Amino acid sequence: MAEERRLLLRMEQIDKRFPGVHALDHVDFDLYEGEIHVLLGENGAGKSTLMKILSGAISRDSGRIWIGGREGLVEVSDLTPERTRALGIGMVYQELSLVPYLSVAENIFLGGLPRTRWGAVDWAQTYHRAWQRLQDLGVSIDPRAQVRELSVAEQQLTEIARVLESHPRILVLDEPTSALSDTERTRLFELIRRLRDRGVGIIYISHRLAEIPLIGDRVTVLRDGKRIATLPVTEVDEDRLIQMVVGRKLTEQYPWRNNVRGEALLRVENLSLPGVLRNVSFTLHEGEIVGVFGLMGAGQNELARALCGLEPRYTGRIFIANQLIHLRHPWDAIRQGVGLLPRDRRDGLVPLLPIPPNITLGQLCLGSPFRILNLRQEIQIANTYVERLHIHPPILNRPVFYLSGGNQQKVVLARWLCSNVRLLVLDDPTRGIDVGAKAEVFTLMEELSQRGVGILFVSSEMEELLAMANRILVLRQGQISAEYQRGEATEEDLLRSASYEKSNGGSR
Amino acid sequence: MKKKASPLKQQPMMSPPMARPRFNPETLRRWAVQMGALLALLLLVGYLSLASPHFLTPGNIANVARQTAVTTILAAGQTFVILSGGIDLSVAATAGLSASVAAVLMTSQVWILGVPIGPVPFGVGMIIAMLVGLLVGLLNGLIITKGRIPDFIATLGTLTTMRGIALLVTGGLPVPSHLTATELRGYLPPELIWMGAGDVFGIPVAGLIALGVIVVGWCILRYTAFGRAIYAVGGNREAARVSGINIDRTKIMVYMLSGLLAALAGMVLTGRLNSANALMGEGEELRSIAATVIGGANLFGGQGSLLGTLIGALVIGVLGNGLNLLNVSAFWQRVIQGLVIIGVVIFDQWRRRRFGA
Ligand SMILES: Nc1ncnc2c1ncn2[C@@H]1O[C@H](COP(=O)(O)OP(=O)(O)OP(=O)(O)O)[C@@H](O)[C@H]1O
Ligand SMILES: [Mg+2]
Repeated sequence: MAEERRLLLRMEQIDKRFPGVHALDHVDFDLYEGEIHVLLGENGAGKSTLMKILSGAISRDSGRIWIGGREGLVEVSDLTPERTRALGIGMVYQELSLVPYLSVAENIFLGGLPRTRWGAVDWAQTYHRAWQRLQDLGVSIDPRAQVRELSVAEQQLTEIARVLESHPRILVLDEPTSALSDTERTRLFELIRRLRDRGVGIIYISHRLAEIPLIGDRVTVLRDGKRIATLPVTEVDEDRLIQMVVGRKLTEQYPWRNNVRGEALLRVENLSLPGVLRNVSFTLHEGEIVGVFGLMGAGQNELARALCGLEPRYTGRIFIANQLIHLRHPWDAIRQGVGLLPRDRRDGLVPLLPIPPNITLGQLCLGSPFRILNLRQEIQIANTYVERLHIHPPILNRPVFYLSGGNQQKVVLARWLCSNVRLLVLDDPTRGIDVGAKAEVFTLMEELSQRGVGILFVSSEMEELLAMANRILVLRQGQISAEYQRGEATEEDLLRSASYEKSNGGSR
Repeated sequence: MKKKASPLKQQPMMSPPMARPRFNPETLRRWAVQMGALLALLLLVGYLSLASPHFLTPGNIANVARQTAVTTILAAGQTFVILSGGIDLSVAATAGLSASVAAVLMTSQVWILGVPIGPVPFGVGMIIAMLVGLLVGLLNGLIITKGRIPDFIATLGTLTTMRGIALLVTGGLPVPSHLTATELRGYLPPELIWMGAGDVFGIPVAGLIALGVIVVGWCILRYTAFGRAIYAVGGNREAARVSGINIDRTKIMVYMLSGLLAALAGMVLTGRLNSANALMGEGEELRSIAATVIGGANLFGGQGSLLGTLIGALVIGVLGNGLNLLNVSAFWQRVIQGLVIIGVVIFDQWRRRRFGA
């Protein structure tokens, strides 16, 4: 099979330095026609940088790039985003790059809207084609909807649809599945395989190791900007990969879970949100981790938001420590000792502030605006979490804007881990975080629960829920459709309870 | 199985958080952010000291300090607003209104609701001016946050309104005018004149006030929760909201601070000119924005510093002074000032793209 395959891309000795960081250290990379090449590495290893060099978004310090065309490989020196698009390179960036105030369809055809004979925009055609593109991905998103109204998962899919619209020969997907649940992911994989069979070369970046045997052909591991290895996927197993990624053995992903359970901490009665949640009731105890699972749009994110004062129009009653509270603003929640890690991480960081103020941002609203900040303590806290979560590079006075995607996520996460919360609402806390740091996140969660903190753990990763949660609530169309105790459920159970086609009269 | 500490903790980290030197590349880089304006200032000072024998004389330096003081104080308030992601076009009008109101009350007797008031002493006049400034700021803040009107439009509206009210208050005459000066006490209090035109140990009081404003403002931005909230609100509103920061309150406070500083600037200007009038300081709103932007602030918020703003105000002040010394015609002065603003900002943008800011 290999003898006939043509090279689509060759990158040789690519080198790139940022102030204080050697992001890429003479990296080689190549890609064949009809191949899915997985790029793997810790947060900050240089994956996105390598891909941005390929797309022309940033320039390399040295190194050569060849791109395959009809006449075989041609060396290209000056890459610009326009040039690479013309060369057939399609790129889905890690940070979404949609225009929030335009419609889904306009975003998909950005710059090249279908025209009528008279040169006017052909809206019927635009919406129709956008709809088809999205159908290819197996999602029904209204092409007329404004992008800023979409969930992160929907935005991610829209972004993919946009890149596919240009029919790339080389497709780069930088953590496309980080916000997707299993169902959407499965559909995306089917699409990716179809593209591969048509000869498209695909570079795929993800921190979810379980995905690699599902779709990868070859895998390249980067660490600290160096290429560690390139291997066929069939020759590696997960442990080996982890070892290559983090550079040492990593035995336990999940900490041993304690089963302490104290007083009732949070009691939710008949929580409803128009069109999203219906009569959700449950209790969460001190020291307990309650998992919440649901398919895209089942209401799990809104449940998390409501508990943090971000959905002021809820009805129903919420008690914290047996006290009825009204959550109209995030500060209502924070003053009650509730912390939220939001799903959309762009809502989390102030990009131009450095790490320490970003970590302590959640404590700003406690107390008078005129009080003096304790900058020294702030730096101490930052140092602790920089070390524990391996935030790299550990430069405390540089804007977080320059951190890699995963390291930014860690900063947001640290904000709530460090504050004195009683109740922590984590919406997908491990999204975009590498395997090593994931293990640390779980350890931190366990430590918090030992201290009596209650954790509501929303995740689309069933494996994580099954390993970490004392109980799992499954949401379906805004209602709790099942509840499982620890050890009771399997992934199949969760999926069955979450999907609608009905077993025992759960119809609306 | 005992509770297992994460295996990660047992081993030394791959790359230990390198011993952070005091002076890392980042410190250099942050200095470079202010460099555009600083460079312009140094070039300007260098050139003018060579071109005009009068430039580096103590008298002229004091003169520059006095002239720059008003712009600096206004620009300090403007910097707070711009950092929070807004813009305040009403600063100069607020200065004019508060100074007019205070000046009228300090120099004449007025009947308010049948009660005779004034002439009030300096201290009371000062407090009244500050209250007017705070009130205008509060109004701006409320219109913007509760009325959900864009900052630009809201403050454009108050700009015109406040100039109108100031005209009503003064009757369109300077204060004190030949009419009021004959009545009662009639003249502005000497403390006010001292504030605008006097000096201590040869240093202009106005300059000291401006410097004080910069220092206090810098401390507020760096050390208080309010200052931090301003950066958060201007840097990423959503993040600020999710983190529980009261965005409306922060914005209102920022506009009130800007109003307060505008009132102070108005009083300093009145002291310097020995008179207040409703239209005083026209054009200063744009200068205060220019000073802030030359100083490296981002007009979309979240980035900038009062140190930069001080340098920016000095660039504008020194330039105006120098052009006067060189006898450049008033028409050309405007052209040159405009071009310098554009030039500095272009250089700044280029430098940021090139070296990352
Ligand atoms: N513009 C920049 N200025 C300075 N440093 C940068 C810049 N962009 C990236 N870096 C640094 O380069 C390194 C590589 O970043 P990159 O984004 O490629 O990581 P990554 O492998 O994609 O990580 P992640 O899994 O977190 O997305 C990081 O240490 C990052 O801090
Ligand atoms: Mg990345």
